[in-house]
Amino acid sequence: MAAVTAPTLPGAAIEQPKRLRVSDYLRWSVDHKIIGVQYMATALFFFIFGGALAMLIRWELLTPAIDLMADGQAYNSLFSIHGTVMIFLWIIPMMAGFANYLVPLMLGAKDMAFPWLNAFAFWLIPPAGIMMILGYFVGQTEAGWTSYPPLSTLFSGDGQTLWALSLHLLGVSSILGAINFIVTIRNMRPAGMGYFQMPLFVWAMLATSIIIVMATPFLAGALTLLILDRVAGTAFFNPAQGGDVLLWQNIFWFYSHPAVYIMVLPAFGIISELLSVHSRKPVFGYRAIALSSMAIALVGFTVWAHHMFTSLTPELRIPFMITSMIIAVPTGIKVFSWLGTIWGGKIHFTSAMLFALGFLSMFVIGGISGVMLGSVPFDIHVHDTYFVVSHLHFVLFGGSVLAVYGAIYHWFPKITGRMLDERLGKIHFWITYPAFFLTFFPMHLAGMLGMPRRVAQYAPEFQTLNVFISIAAFVLGISTFILLYNMVHSLFYGEKAGANPWRALTLEWATSSPPPSTNFIGDPVPFPNPYGYGTEAAYNYVESQNKKYGTVNPSDYEPVEKIGPLSAGTE
Amino acid sequence: MSSSHPPTPRSNPSLMPSLSLIIVGVVVIIAGALGLTLLVPQILPPQASTQAQQVDQLFTFLLFFGGVIFILVEGLILVSVIRFRARPGDLSDGPPIHGNTMLELVWTAVPAVLVAVLAILSYVVWVNTRAVVPNEMTVGATAARFAWTFNYEVSQDTLPTTLNFSDLKPEVQTDLTDEDGVVHFSNPKLYTWVDQPIVMEMQSQDVNHAFWVPAMRVKQDVLPGRTTEIRFTPTEAGNYRIVCAELCGSGHGAMAGEVGRDGELLGAWLIVYATEEEYLANFFDDAATAVLVPPDDPALLGRQILASGAYPCATCHTLDDQGWTGNIGPNLNGIGDRAAERAQTTGDADGAAYIEHSLRHPGDFLVPGFGNLMPQFNPDQGQPNYMPQNDLEAIVAYLLTQTANPSN
Repeated sequence: MAAVTAPTLPGAAIEQPKRLRVSDYLRWSVDHKIIGVQYMATALFFFIFGGALAMLIRWELLTPAIDLMADGQAYNSLFSIHGTVMIFLWIIPMMAGFANYLVPLMLGAKDMAFPWLNAFAFWLIPPAGIMMILGYFVGQTEAGWTSYPPLSTLFSGDGQTLWALSLHLLGVSSILGAINFIVTIRNMRPAGMGYFQMPLFVWAMLATSIIIVMATPFLAGALTLLILDRVAGTAFFNPAQGGDVLLWQNIFWFYSHPAVYIMVLPAFGIISELLSVHSRKPVFGYRAIALSSMAIALVGFTVWAHHMFTSLTPELRIPFMITSMIIAVPTGIKVFSWLGTIWGGKIHFTSAMLFALGFLSMFVIGGISGVMLGSVPFDIHVHDTYFVVSHLHFVLFGGSVLAVYGAIYHWFPKITGRMLDERLGKIHFWITYPAFFLTFFPMHLAGMLGMPRRVAQYAPEFQTLNVFISIAAFVLGISTFILLYNMVHSLFYGEKAGANPWRALTLEWATSSPPPSTNFIGDPVPFPNPYGYGTEAAYNYVESQNKKYGTVNPSDYEPVEKIGPLSAGTE
Repeated sequence: MSSSHPPTPRSNPSLMPSLSLIIVGVVVIIAGALGLTLLVPQILPPQASTQAQQVDQLFTFLLFFGGVIFILVEGLILVSVIRFRARPGDLSDGPPIHGNTMLELVWTAVPAVLVAVLAILSYVVWVNTRAVVPNEMTVGATAARFAWTFNYEVSQDTLPTTLNFSDLKPEVQTDLTDEDGVVHFSNPKLYTWVDQPIVMEMQSQDVNHAFWVPAMRVKQDVLPGRTTEIRFTPTEAGNYRIVCAELCGSGHGAMAGEVGRDGELLGAWLIVYATEEEYLANFFDDAATAVLVPPDDPALLGRQILASGAYPCATCHTLDDQGWTGNIGPNLNGIGDRAAERAQTTGDADGAAYIEHSLRHPGDFLVPGFGNLMPQFNPDQGQPNYMPQNDLEAIVAYLLTQTANPSN
C-alpha cells in the first residue's frame, strides 16, 4: 500500500486522509493542526502537574500548622510553581493550541502565515516548562508567581533564576505565536470574509495577539532586570544600593494585568461560538462583542496599578480605580450580549453548552468581585487575602478553564473525528461545576474575615472553612480525570463524528473531521454570516456541506444509546 | 432529509417576557440584593475603627449592586434554560435576531452609570478614611522577617507616676534631657486606646511586608527603602490580630499574632484599651519603667530586653523561659550548656563568644538542618538591625543562664 496519497485536485473526491500516528505528534511538524494538538497535549500535561500541586496546597491547609510540607519555604515554592505553571504552561498554551488548530480552519486557510515560526514557537515551551520545574532542585523559588523583589532577588533560591529564564522563553514563544496570528488574520481571510464576517473566536485571538505583542516585551524587560540583579550584582530592585522595589511591581503588572485578558479573551471567543451554535441562534450584538474585545485590550493597558493599591503612592490610586471600573463596561456588554444570544434560542444541553453556561454563570461572579476589588477602600481591606484568590480563580477557572472544557467537548469531534461521550461529559460537568463553586466561593469569606493569601499557617478560627474548601477542591481535582478518561476512551471507541456534528456555520466544520492535511478540498466558501442561524439559507448551506462530506448524525443531541446505526461515509 | 426547508419549529415561546415575569423579577432582584446586605456583619471581622465603619458602609453598597447584577444575570440564565430549552427532536433554529440597538445602548449605559456611582462613593470614603485628625499618636513600626516591632518613646513629660526624674540613673537622666529628650523602647504589640487616632510610620528591614489589622480595615505595604504611612482610629476596646499580608518568605504566616496554649497573646497584636488610664496602667507605665530603671544584673537585663520584643527572636526560636514557640530557627532551650561545646568546633574562645558571634554574624555557622535566615544584628546605630553592645552583652549573659532545660 502506498504510504503517501497523491495530491488531490480541486473538486476531486474526498481525500482519504493519512492516518496520523502518535509519533507524528512527537516530532517537528509545520502543520498547524499537529502543532495545535501539540500545544494542547503539552498544556494538559502541565494542567495535571499544576493541579497536583494545588491538591498538595489544599492538603497542607487542612490544618492551621505547617505539617505536610517541610517548612514555609517548601510551601511557598508549591504555590509559586502552581501559579506560574497554570498561567504560563496551561491556560496560555492551551488557548494557543485551540487558536492554532482553529484560526486557519475558521479562515478557510491551508495553514498559518508562518508555519515554521509556528512550530518553533511551540518547541520553546517543553524545555521552558522542564527548566522551571527543575528549578526546584537547585534552590526553591519562594516569591510567588508575582516574584516581588527583594524577596525574589536577595532571598529566593537559584530556582528563581531558572524561573525567570523559563518565563523569558515562554514569552518569546508567546510573541512569535501572536505575530503569526495577527498576520494570518490580516492576510489570509478568504474572499467574502471581511473583518466583520470573521468568527468571534478569531476576533478574540486578534485582540489577544495584539495584547501579547504589546505587553510581553515589558515582562521580558522586567525579567532581564531581575536576572541581572540575581546573577550580575546589579541593584535595580535593591533600595540599599539605590534601586526601587516598586519598579518591578509596575513593569510586572504592566504586562501581567493585560495577561489576564490574554487568558480570558480567547475564552470569551470560545463562549461566543458555543452559545450561538448550541442555542441555534445568531450571536446577539456581534459587532459589540467584537469591538468590546478591542476596547478591553486597550483599556486593559491602563489599569495595572490596581494590583498595587496597598503599595502604590496613595495619590495615584484613584486614577487607577477609575480605569479599572471603566473596564467593567465592555465586559458587561459581552455578558449581556451572551444572555441576548441564548434568550429565545433552542438551547441544547450538550456538554459543551453546559460548560458554556457554567462559564457565563461563574464568570459574572468574578466580574462582580472584580468591581469590588477595583474600589480602593474595600480593596485595601481584602488586598492580598483569600478574597483575591477567590476572584482570580473565578476569572481563570470559572472563566478560562470552564471555557476550555466546553471547547474540548465542542471541537474534539473536529480534531479527532470522534465524539466525546456525552453521558460522561454531563457527569463531568455536574461534578466539576458545583465542586468549583464550593471550592472557590468560600474563599471570599476567608479573605474578608481576615485570612491572608500565601500562608501555610493560619489562625485556627479559619480551619473549618479551609477543611470545607479542601474537600471540595479534592472532588474538583478528581473530576478532571473523568474528562481525561473520556478523551482517551473516545479517541478509540467514540462515535464517529461526521464533518459537522453541531450543524455549525463557521468554516472549520466545512471539511472532514479530522480535516485533510491541506484542510479543505478546494477553496471553501464561507457563509456570509458565521452565526446566521434561523434562515433557510443557513439550513441549505449546512445541507450542502452534508452532501459533500457525508451526512451528519441525524439526532446528534440525543444520548448515545438512543442513536441508531451510524450512516457514516459518503452518499 | 434533503428537503430544502428547515424543520418547522414546534412552538416558539414568546421572546418578550410577560409583565408578571418582569414584576416578579424586579421584586426578587431588589429583595435578594437587600437580603444579601443583611449578611454584612457576619461576613466581615469586628468593626472596630472609624475607617471600618466607612469601609463597611461602602461594602454594603458594593454588595447591593453586585447582588442586583448577580441575581439578574443568574436569573436570566435560569429563565432562558427553562423557557428556551430545545424539546427532544427539535432540530429547528431560533429566530434570526442579530441585535437590538436600544437594548445594547441600555446595557452599556446602565453599567457605566453604576460604576461611575460606585467610583464616586469609593472616592469619598477614600478621602475620609485618610483624613488627618488632630491629636494623632505617631507610632513607628519596623517589619523584619518574621516579626513586627512597634516603637514607643517616653519623655520627661510622660514619666510613669511612680517614678521621679531625680531618682533615675544619671545616664538615663541625660537621655531624657538631651536634644530629642526621649528614651525609646519597643514592643512586638501595638498598644492604644479607644478614640486615640494613630498614624503608623512604617519601615522594613529586609523585604516587602504589609501591615494589616482586619478589624480596622486598614492595610499598607511596608517597603524597604521607603517610609509608608497609614492612619486609623479605634472605636472598640479589644485585642485584634495584626497580620502580614505581603509574602515575605518562609515565616510569612507566622508573622501574624497567635494565641498560645494558655490563651496568652503571642506576637503581633493590636491591644486597644477602653481608656488612656487603662493604657498607662497596663502597658505604658511598666514598659517605660523597665527602660528607665534597668536592672543591674546583666542576665536580668537581658531577660527584660528579650521579653520586651525589641528583637524579633520569638517568631523563629523556641525558648520556654520566654514563652517562645517558633520553629523556623534552632531551639534555644539549654543553649547555655551547648554554647561552650559549639565554641570548640567554631573556634570561638568560649560560650559567650560563640553566642556573640552568632548574633553579629549568624551566617558564619549554621546549626545543621537550618537555613541562613536570621538577620545580622549590627553594632552601629546607622545600620539595619541595630543591636547596641550593651544589649548584646546582656542578652548573651541571659542566654548563658538557660541551662539543662528538661523540656529540651
